[in-house]
Amino acid sequence: MKILKIFCILLIFFLFFQNHSLANSPQQVDKISKNLRCLICQGQSVYDSQSDFALSMKTLIKKKIDEGKNDDEIYDFLISKYGEWIVYEPKFNKNTFFLWLLPILVFLGGGWLIFKKTKFFKL
Amino acid sequence: MINQLGNYSLYIALLISIFIISKASLSLRKLSITLSGNIFSLISVQSIMVIISFLTLIYAFVTSDFSNETVYNNSHTTKPLFYKISGTWGNHEGSLLLWLLVLTIFLFIFTVESKNLSQRYRTLTLFFQQIIIFGFLLFILFTSNPFSNLFPIPNEGTGLNPILQDPALAIHPPILYLGYVGTSIIFSSALAAIISGSINKSWASHIKKWVLVSWVFLSIGILLGSIWAYYELGWGGFWFWDPVENVSLMPWICLTALLHTIFTLEKRDIFHSWAVILSITTFSLSMSGTFLVRSGILNSIHIFANDPSRGVFILCFLFILIFLSILIYFFYQKTIKENLTKPYLISKETAVLLNNLFMMFFLSVVLIGTVYPIFLEVINNEKISIGPPFYHKLLIPFLIPFLFFMAIGPNIKWINGKIGKINFTQVSIFIISIIVSYFFVKKYGVSYLLSLPLFILSIFLFFITIKDFFGKKVNISQKISHFGFSLLILSILLNGVLSKEFSSNMKVGDERKFLNKTIKFESIKVIKEQNYQSLIGEFNIKDENNSLSLKPELRIYDQPQTITSEADISSTIFSDNFLVFNVLKNDGFYNVRYQIKPFMIWIWISVILISFGGLISLKKKNV
Repeated sequence: MKILKIFCILLIFFLFFQNHSLANSPQQVDKISKNLRCLICQGQSVYDSQSDFALSMKTLIKKKIDEGKNDDEIYDFLISKYGEWIVYEPKFNKNTFFLWLLPILVFLGGGWLIFKKTKFFKL
Repeated sequence: MINQLGNYSLYIALLISIFIISKASLSLRKLSITLSGNIFSLISVQSIMVIISFLTLIYAFVTSDFSNETVYNNSHTTKPLFYKISGTWGNHEGSLLLWLLVLTIFLFIFTVESKNLSQRYRTLTLFFQQIIIFGFLLFILFTSNPFSNLFPIPNEGTGLNPILQDPALAIHPPILYLGYVGTSIIFSSALAAIISGSINKSWASHIKKWVLVSWVFLSIGILLGSIWAYYELGWGGFWFWDPVENVSLMPWICLTALLHTIFTLEKRDIFHSWAVILSITTFSLSMSGTFLVRSGILNSIHIFANDPSRGVFILCFLFILIFLSILIYFFYQKTIKENLTKPYLISKETAVLLNNLFMMFFLSVVLIGTVYPIFLEVINNEKISIGPPFYHKLLIPFLIPFLFFMAIGPNIKWINGKIGKINFTQVSIFIISIIVSYFFVKKYGVSYLLSLPLFILSIFLFFITIKDFFGKKVNISQKISHFGFSLLILSILLNGVLSKEFSSNMKVGDERKFLNKTIKFESIKVIKEQNYQSLIGEFNIKDENNSLSLKPELRIYDQPQTITSEADISSTIFSDNFLVFNVLKNDGFYNVRYQIKPFMIWIWISVILISFGGLISLKKKNV
């Protein structure tokens, strides 16, 4: 049984570090544009929209990728141009640390409570 | 004339509400415990009054009575009859009236079905329910009256938003509201039970029915909304983490937690306070949800400011209810006879607690993601967007352990706290899942760091839930619901990973290659319908073996002028072929989007299975 367990754990580790691949340009455009809000549409991403704004955004992203910029640089560039409103995933900063951390605090707090309220073994 | 009938019956309902509230509070103070037959007939009259006013509104919509302002704003003579009727609740005023209708009918059902329970508990539930009804009546009559008159009477209405003219969306609000309003009964009865000191096993087995009913309706309601978004919004997705969707998901998550807690309370007589807290939370979420969607705060905070009376009323009413319930909770907390024996760490009790922990985590993610932008904008005037990447990033890492606990949790025994022998079947299923996922991920080149463990555990859960069908440890309704859930996660994953998409600008006669298929834009034709013009494109998709013809549609409505696109979807049990097209500015060209979406239909089926499990549980006397 023990061997089985070790085998499992090793297998997971082995698999975990196996799958990394680099995206190529069209896929990268799709990936980035899915994370951007189309500013002139209602609740659509740039990827989903066919508006002029969205089309020009896609061209812009493609140009930036061809210039050799990576994802983060492109997001930063767009944020500096259009503001935080454009990205669907807000950056972690003084405005948003509460947003990112609160759910995790809820989880940890709740977990601690459960741990306190249960007992390990039959006494 | 008939319009006024609806208005007056609402006023009568209001009077009855006031009468019942005062009567109930008097009888509660005197501790006279009889709920007179008098009050019962008053409740019947109240329900009838609300039904009459609702029917009046439907009548006004059907006959296109434009002296009614709501009808004028939301209807049009050329609209098909079905949408005239569904237009009744397709707007702010009408939807609140529908809420009220369900509220009174549910109270009526509650009064009938709780006949052999304690009178004090019944009277108290009735009292709290009447407060909610009273609030809604005030809100409807003084800020959003569906029966306001227009003079001079216009000849024609302005029409219903065409995007809402759709069969799934026509029945979506009533179903969803049945779920939302069901939580109000849970709320009132939890408060009643805490005051009368009867939070116990028998309360749990009584309120369990209401929890199940609300949960089933809410699930189906969300499903309908999701199906509608899939074919009508034309993006091929089914869940966008849009605030309006989140608002319906939050009470569902909370209700799911409550469901598990109530089952445990009924069985093991523990978690009393927690069940009360969840009952209160669920209702608060349902109500703020309806209000948020209807008041327009979510899409833009400015609409909220435009109609201060409505917004302020909403806030006050919500505040009063929540404040009242918290007050009652703390004041009467000592009446809860909490079972003080701690559950063992390894026991089904702890498994339920873990379920609740994860539910609360999911809830807090969705809640903060939905409301945070509103608060941030008010506080320091900064606008941020919170969309799918945020939710995925926070939810997926926690989904993995959640799936694991969901797989092993139901197989642990109640009470017993032993770390038993490792279950050989479970371990072998786990290894099989690892191998299956490994080859799958390898074959399809999935490249996210977390996708492999996510696959392993969802396949693990899937196999375990199938295996559980042959065991005796779990009851049948739970088997079905849990199996449905594992199927849901697995289909969403497979769908997400295996979907293929093609997008191009084409004109009639064009042909494009995509994977091993050829997509041909064959023709386009124009058809005049009752209240819109329809452009139907004909596309042919061919590979070596078969050819498939898809006919997506563009509808050009004139009242109000809007274009909607109707995707054409051909579903098989393996995958959906989804095609949608849109007009482009330069003449003759259309933007064509073709998607292959594997296992789409299983997403819908699995939600139906989940709800079906709930329905079966409702049928049984003892779970």
